[in-house]
Amino acid sequence: MSMDAQLIEHMMNPKNYGALEYSDAQGIGKNPENGEKVAIYIRVGKDEVAPYVEEIRFQAIGCTTTVVAGSMLTEEAKGLNFNGVQNLVEATMKLLDRLPPEDAACSEMVALAIKAAVDTYEKRISDPDYPTITYKIVNSCVVKDDTVEVIANQKEGK
Amino acid sequence: MKTIMIKAHEAWLATLMAGFMSKTENKQVLFDFSDILFRHFTWLENELIELDEPYNYDRDAIPIKVEKLSDLLHDIEKRLSEIDLQLLSSPDKNLDERISTDIAYMRDVLQHMKDEDITAFSMERKFPDIVLTEEATDALTLFLFEETYKEYELIMIYNYLKAHSSDAYLNRIFQILIDESFFHLKSFGDMGAKMGLLAVPRLVMKEMYQVEDVVQFLKDGINEELAAKEECKKLSEAVSKDSPELEKFFDFINHQENYHISLMKDALKHFEKKNNG
Repeated sequence: MSMDAQLIEHMMNPKNYGALEYSDAQGIGKNPENGEKVAIYIRVGKDEVAPYVEEIRFQAIGCTTTVVAGSMLTEEAKGLNFNGVQNLVEATMKLLDRLPPEDAACSEMVALAIKAAVDTYEKRISDPDYPTITYKIVNSCVVKDDTVEVIANQKEGK
Repeated sequence: MKTIMIKAHEAWLATLMAGFMSKTENKQVLFDFSDILFRHFTWLENELIELDEPYNYDRDAIPIKVEKLSDLLHDIEKRLSEIDLQLLSSPDKNLDERISTDIAYMRDVLQHMKDEDITAFSMERKFPDIVLTEEATDALTLFLFEETYKEYELIMIYNYLKAHSSDAYLNRIFQILIDESFFHLKSFGDMGAKMGLLAVPRLVMKEMYQVEDVVQFLKDGINEELAAKEECKKLSEAVSKDSPELEKFFDFINHQENYHISLMKDALKHFEKKNNG
């Protein structure tokens, strides 16, 4: 992860972190390899033509990259109608190939959790007892020690 | 009671953060006060357990970004006043009295503390008198964010396990691990403040501390400590040429993890022995 001021701001003050009291639905994105997961909570606005994400929060069992991805993507999702959310999720999934593997796994986990929350909400329209949906990621989370190794190698002249 | 415990949790963290920000003799006083507030938090938790009231470690976000220390101190005073007021409804008058007299003294000291300019949020990512390469700075930045949260998470987990255990042998181990994590949290928080990266650790999810399988938790924990040792080793190598001081520090943290692993192995053995009758 290369760092700029915006990224550091998300690390220091992740946006929308925490549980949402009185949420309409939750969704989970999970890494089956290591148990890391992201929970998304949404409150849905119904005062427009199409339902939209009025409030969104997230919590994570995961690394700082997951928290940064959660902070960024939930900010993007806030205010979007469900079509907009699906577009955001699809656009994020398409970007994953261009990211380092560990960053791809973290972003995928957040994107799938957002999708799971919206899908759970839609399922509950016809079945209020529908359980919270969990989607599992396919990208593998590689241990993030590349940066340090690169520095160590540079210093040793490798 | 639940609300008072949440407020004590928030006041503890706000005071700890104020300690990280300070560069004067205020620092140690704020650290001492944060330790006292942590104990209040644990007493209130114990009270909830005795009353059989459900609770968790959820709390609100704690805004700490200030330019002057006095701004945060006023906020902490306000938090302490709220706790004091709400204690009136506590069924345990002795507990109420103990906390209330601590609060009265702390508020008085906070009111008279010398003000300081705060640089802990500058995002400069520079250590005083140490020049690191950009890559080493990035690696250290990531390490500090990861580990500051991790240490807070461990404090909350071990505290919860301790609160719900009456096994003296295990509680001794949990208390040592809490103390060790406090030391690490304070070390990393101080480093974060020096680099202009101070942040309140994020909320810990319930399922992390409401541990269902302690044996598995300890096994995973030992592996995490081993991974943390590796991280410290690599970071120590990465900063060695720029800062022998930081190199020694990360070696020291690395070696401390051996003790944590040994304690966790002891706890694991004890649990397995208990489970096997």
